[in-house]
Amino acid sequence: MKLAGAGVAATSMGALGFSEAEAAEIAHVRPFKLATTTETRNTCPYCSVACGIIIYSKGDVRKGEKADVIHIEGDVDHPTNRGTLCPKGAALKDFVTSPTRLHYPMHRKPGSDKFERVSWDEALDRIARLMKDDRDANFLAKNEKGLEVNRWSTVGMLAASATTNETAWATFKFAKSLGMVGFDNQARV
Amino acid sequence: MSVSSLQPDPSMIGGISKALFALMPNPARLFKERATRFEVLAETSNLAPYLKFLAGIVRVQADLVAELPPVQPVDAEQVARARDGAMPPIDRSAMIQSDEYRKTVQLFLDRVQDLEMPAAAAEALEAVRAADDETLAWMAGNVIGDTLPVESLAHHLFVAAATQVHAARLAALLDGNALVPVSVGVCPSCGGKPAGSMVIGVQGAEGARYACCSCCATMWNEVRVKCLACGSTKGIGYRSVEVDGGEEAVIKAEICDSCNSWSKLLYQNKNPTLEMIADDVASLGLDLLMKETDYRRAGFDPFLIGY
Repeated sequence: MKLAGAGVAATSMGALGFSEAEAAEIAHVRPFKLATTTETRNTCPYCSVACGIIIYSKGDVRKGEKADVIHIEGDVDHPTNRGTLCPKGAALKDFVTSPTRLHYPMHRKPGSDKFERVSWDEALDRIARLMKDDRDANFLAKNEKGLEVNRWSTVGMLAASATTNETAWATFKFAKSLGMVGFDNQARV
Repeated sequence: MSVSSLQPDPSMIGGISKALFALMPNPARLFKERATRFEVLAETSNLAPYLKFLAGIVRVQADLVAELPPVQPVDAEQVARARDGAMPPIDRSAMIQSDEYRKTVQLFLDRVQDLEMPAAAAEALEAVRAADDETLAWMAGNVIGDTLPVESLAHHLFVAAATQVHAARLAALLDGNALVPVSVGVCPSCGGKPAGSMVIGVQGAEGARYACCSCCATMWNEVRVKCLACGSTKGIGYRSVEVDGGEEAVIKAEICDSCNSWSKLLYQNKNPTLEMIADDVASLGLDLLMKETDYRRAGFDPFLIGY
């Protein structure tokens, strides 16, 4: 019942008698290499809508290569934006590749005219120190009527927007447990 | 609003439609356009003789669509039952038992005789034409099982091409809105394997990815950056033939580190002339380069077996 072709060919083209064309293509592609690219899902960092995006890059970090972002577009599979982006989101690639983009903490010392790079530890220690000093100096536990208010009104906080509900909850607890009054979210800006 | 309408529609502002789950084939156009695409690709390809041969095969498919009497649609009750069970409404094993299917195969085999083809192909066609009903049924079974025996790939190509005609005509009569996802990489119309997938630029589905059934040509929506073979979204990467100047390729291999397979992805949104089957064959170079890697091809195309 089984049918067998004239020659032993493991491919459709070979079995049908197009081995010459197949061989020509094999010879043609031999000097070519495979280019590596990736497409990665993420959310736009700008506002609370958190539109889905696909980041295209050349090179594959997982394979130990260096990857460069070459294109960013709306993620059509994302239920929030279905592939659309606002003008800010559509320009995200320039945000990533911007020469003025901040890559690490910088510090401009009092009286200095330039920013200097500092480590994350230094930056966070300094922020914590300054916050603590300011809170110790200005924290208001009770108002003039003697009512307990626990206010810290001399420092404000602006939180980032591309967050989950859980991050937002933790951020709120952090700010309010310190007594911060001036607290808002980038999402409303 | 129809996709091709030029009438302004204010309701389009603000309301971004969800991409349709399934795009049903239009056999009258499908095979004509595919044949034309094969001919265009043959003009500049090393594979010209094969592409011209396939253009001829697809022209016969188109002729058959125009000539054959209307096909009996799938029973409404079966469509409803399949939907309830998340199964494809076209039962391919029942399909190949039907007289309509057998007549389509016979007529196809008669017509392709007139094509110019190498001796090996002509010999295979002669063997298929001389085959008894039992052998033909066995071949049809292999075709709908999406696995072709390596020793008779040429014979099966003819039966597979005839099957595509019948399956596409059946699928065309289904209501795409009534289809439900069956499983990753399984056609919601007929249960067939995809040849690959395309990112399309059609209004209302810009940038959405559709897998293209190798049997009935139904296109169904699959989430992007996801393996079509195992459904994993982890470890997905892309490979393409590197070209000078670093221009972005419009045909890529989507690789999956979870199951070590790859499937072809055509960016039709970047080059609207791309056609799933024709460009799959013409981009054999990518298959040849991918063959040297650890990944194996997941897409099924009866015109391109063995890579």
